[in-house]
Amino acid sequence: MATNLKLFLSSQPPPHGNHHRCAGATILNHHHLPIPLSNRTFYSLQAFGSSTNNYSRSRRRRFRVCSKAIDVQSKDASDLEATALAGRDRLLKVPTDKIRNFSIIAHIDHGKSTLADKLLQVTGTVQSRDMKEQFLDNMDLERERGITIKLQAARMRFAYEGEPYCLNLIDTPGHVDFSYEVSRSLAACEGALLVVDASQGVEAQTLANVYLALENNLEVIPVLNKIDLPGAEPNRVVQEIEEIIGLDCSNAIYCSAKEGIGINEILNAIVQRIPPPSDSAGRPLRALIFDSYYDAYRGVIVYFRVIDGSVKKGDRILFMASGKDYFADEIGVLSPNQQQVDELYAGEVGYISASIRSVADARVGDTITNYSRKAEQSLPGYKEATPMVFCGLFPIDADQFPDLRDALEKLQLNDAALKFEPETSSAMGFGFRCGFLGLLHMEIVQERLEREYNLSLITTAPSVVYRVHCVNGETVECSNPSALPEQGKRKSIEEPMVKIEMLTPKDYIGSLMELSQDRRGEFKGMKFITENRAALTYEMPLAEMVGDFFDQLKSRSKGYASMEYSFIEYKESDLIKLDVLINGDGVEPLSTIVHKDKAYSVGRALTQKLKELIPRQMFKVPIQACIGTKVIASESLSAIRKDVLAKCYGGDISRKKKLLKKQAAGKKRMKAIGKVDVPQEAFMAVLKLEKEVL
Amino acid sequence: MLKSTVAPMLLTLHTKTKSNNFLTLKAATFCSTFPQNPPTVRRNASTNTLTIETLETPSYKLPPASAYVHLPFCRKRCHYCDFPIVALGSTSTETADDDPRISNYIHLLIREIEATQKTQIDQHPPLETVFFGGGTPSLVPPKLVAKVLETLRSKFGLSLDAEISMEMDPGTFDDKKLRDLIGLGVNRVSLGVQAFQEELLKVCGRAHGVQEVHEAIEIIGSCGVRNWSLDLISSLPNQTQEMWEETLRLTIEAQPNHVSVYDLQVEKDTKFGSLYTPGEFPLPSDTQSAKFYRMASRKLGEANYNHYEVSSYSKSGFECKHNYTYWINKPFYAFGLGSASYINGTRYSRPKKLKDYTNYVKNLEDGLIDCSQVDDEVNEGEMAMDIVMLSLRTSKGLEFKSFIEDFGSEIAVELCKVYEPYMKSGHVLFLDDQRREITEDEFSTLVLDDEKLENEIGFIRLSDPDGFLLSNELISLAFGVIDP
Repeated sequence: MATNLKLFLSSQPPPHGNHHRCAGATILNHHHLPIPLSNRTFYSLQAFGSSTNNYSRSRRRRFRVCSKAIDVQSKDASDLEATALAGRDRLLKVPTDKIRNFSIIAHIDHGKSTLADKLLQVTGTVQSRDMKEQFLDNMDLERERGITIKLQAARMRFAYEGEPYCLNLIDTPGHVDFSYEVSRSLAACEGALLVVDASQGVEAQTLANVYLALENNLEVIPVLNKIDLPGAEPNRVVQEIEEIIGLDCSNAIYCSAKEGIGINEILNAIVQRIPPPSDSAGRPLRALIFDSYYDAYRGVIVYFRVIDGSVKKGDRILFMASGKDYFADEIGVLSPNQQQVDELYAGEVGYISASIRSVADARVGDTITNYSRKAEQSLPGYKEATPMVFCGLFPIDADQFPDLRDALEKLQLNDAALKFEPETSSAMGFGFRCGFLGLLHMEIVQERLEREYNLSLITTAPSVVYRVHCVNGETVECSNPSALPEQGKRKSIEEPMVKIEMLTPKDYIGSLMELSQDRRGEFKGMKFITENRAALTYEMPLAEMVGDFFDQLKSRSKGYASMEYSFIEYKESDLIKLDVLINGDGVEPLSTIVHKDKAYSVGRALTQKLKELIPRQMFKVPIQACIGTKVIASESLSAIRKDVLAKCYGGDISRKKKLLKKQAAGKKRMKAIGKVDVPQEAFMAVLKLEKEVL
Repeated sequence: MLKSTVAPMLLTLHTKTKSNNFLTLKAATFCSTFPQNPPTVRRNASTNTLTIETLETPSYKLPPASAYVHLPFCRKRCHYCDFPIVALGSTSTETADDDPRISNYIHLLIREIEATQKTQIDQHPPLETVFFGGGTPSLVPPKLVAKVLETLRSKFGLSLDAEISMEMDPGTFDDKKLRDLIGLGVNRVSLGVQAFQEELLKVCGRAHGVQEVHEAIEIIGSCGVRNWSLDLISSLPNQTQEMWEETLRLTIEAQPNHVSVYDLQVEKDTKFGSLYTPGEFPLPSDTQSAKFYRMASRKLGEANYNHYEVSSYSKSGFECKHNYTYWINKPFYAFGLGSASYINGTRYSRPKKLKDYTNYVKNLEDGLIDCSQVDDEVNEGEMAMDIVMLSLRTSKGLEFKSFIEDFGSEIAVELCKVYEPYMKSGHVLFLDDQRREITEDEFSTLVLDDEKLENEIGFIRLSDPDGFLLSNELISLAFGVIDP
């Protein structure tokens, strides 16, 4: 029965005319239309030649799901008709074996967005005219939604050998902080396009994601983009892909998304080479969540891929990991804006809105099932978000503490990985200890708090969770240097260790081994995957990795190495607390826990960096790094000699006043440590640079 | 000396507290104009006629008694200059007499003066100071200057002993021209020497050499101008300590009764801006230019010049009255390209481009602009910032009592507390009402009791040279108190 149903139109009204989403207002009844093979459904690719030529925008653009309806106001009657038809028809159901779910894997700037745009355009999903609007809307949305806008999906309709196919594009984020999210969206696909810039070649980000794709048994189709550029060397890059990734490139597609070359071939290859989803619509519902975001008006919107069974509007659904159940108020597909449908079947991709209050209740990787017909087992691969990096966030202005709490609570609605708890510090006052997936995640959250919530914050150096065994037999978990039990009370400290695997072209093996050794890494093994590529395995303290390890890895390997890591155990280590004194006053937020062997180099680096970052004061300021009371590094900041002594010519004081106001505003962004004004940047930059100099 | 001559000029400003202690103009000074009887050059350190107490109006709302007139013409643009100027090219001073660019501009300027609304129609006090700035005002033919003065006189009146200053550059005037100008009433000359070294003048792109400097000083002497200022720039590219010492020595030998020393400021859109970075070779380091500043303060002090403002020195009684109106937040008119006026508590800058300025004058004539609009809501914080930033540039400093009256004791006390460490470091001085310096020990007792602090402190000033050198830093601290 279910399979039959799929062949018919959704009973939900398709979008019409100017409004793609007009729930129930203007209804074109398509109930009696036969299988979606009407003539108007098809148009040759050539018919879109003109719009292809018009389309020469080279700016980066992404398609994101937009909750607003987009007006289609075409002046060209035939375009309007084509769009209206496409808009309508892409909601039509096709048999499961005519569905293709795929993602695009590409390094930044290798043309993923341009290719995605082109696919949408050629399949008539979006017209070039609307793309601008979409671009703008989505850039705004991206700004509003920050990191959670990391995945997007689009349903397209494509005719191959006279048969209509439904293609679902699922996009992926690209930073190691979010590798879990990438793995979930890849798990929602059967295939992936590997897009490589024909002049740049394979790069690290690509590698990490291709391996994730291969792990998920995805069919990977190599695509060489930008072949129209003068520097393109598709043959060299093909060889590289074959050597580095070990992927058969005999049928790699040469394309130029910008010029519209090879798009047809790509669409054909998607249909020919990517396997269809298995037809398991008869089983109990299991749908994989690959993204979710918080909408202020509708609650959490969940993006998912139906693996088994079907889900329809009004169903009572259960999130298997969080244990929460809801009624599905709205079900729809992303094409690329949200369009409501009544039901979705195994193999399909869509969204649900169910008045869910927080994204923590519908986490990426969770399985949606039917409340009254539960699946026996949830889908594999779900992981709780484990914060890896911790830091303190303190408002510069103590009055902003309640605002900071509200802001963090709001961000958490949309970011299940963000954890926080209140913290007090003698130097910084009231604030929060926050946990993040990684350094990028931390920076994004801090920036959003500052920009969107207008808070001025001080961020302390990132740290991991240490386990401190005390003399009295107690074990204390401590992620905050200032909360570390005193030296006399500690018996030993354990720190978390990770296993790290790096894949690198053989030329960079030496450099990466050096890096790992510098970071207290213990060599565990090396094997050559191909003649030119090796896998290096190390065990290393997580604390050594949370900072800029990834950035270092990329820069030392010219971007070719990739890495992944996993927690293995807690291990005892010779760690000490390093304090910083500015003008004789201790600055708690600058305290760090370091390995004894590294204390001197960290101390030197810290004091030198602080000397650079703290503006000169009207008096000489000593900057010291200490272990207990022992000073191990010291710098001093000389006094300022003079200001700009501008005259106020002709009584025109406006310029001078503006300058002084700016100077006064600058002081406000500083934290007074005793008599010394320390800019926030010092707190922020020190935590990164301290790692860099190691 | 400052107390006797300058202190009476200082205003008390009132925005909220109505007290009986306002300084307004004495009715007797509303003297009529004497157009047929131009005043002779005279010392302007005479008794100050501006200060008599009456009730009501805060002084920034009084009709201005000062006018700045911008004469933008230069032979060429100096390499450090970003003022609104009009470069005439290598036209000699003779032919400049009938340069239509000058006469057209003067015509426009006169139209602006005439179209300007007087703040008090019935009883406008005569102007006490006029300042011709530029540009190089001495390039303007005296007969055109006469027209400007005439217009000012008939419009606002011009006090008999008004200070009429003009900026003049070496090489742009001779004996006759200066005598003509004196005849018109100009009684103070501000001579733009900048440096006494040929190579430095050349680096600056000045249109004159050292020879012209000496000639100009001689002309000023021979014409009997006693009230004149020698203007210098310190921290020029490649300037050495020896050069600066020589410059200060020659300056003192020239015996001006006023010296301005401007620390070179590298502005973005100037030739210097494209060539140099402040503090980097060939510009002197910050330490070096601080040394230059200290040296000027010491040498000029030894030669009996009072360092009465961050960049101004004068012999007793020869402070520039006009510039002092700026430091004490008094209102002033401004006319001409890019000039900034301060009327009724409103600061207004004219367009910096000639075309825009022409349109501005037209609009003014059509009644579309009123730059003296009475703004009922003069922002108190902005006003407090103006007063702090201007008064702390002077050796007299901030008048504490009137600051309390105008802005409340909370801010005033807070200001003292913010400055406490800088008092200890010697950058800020607290003085009592008799201008005796309050010692560190005394202060530490005062600071415990807000009321005592309010009663005992009379003035806050920056020390010379340490506090002056860091005036931005110190003033911006005060801004932080006023606008937290």
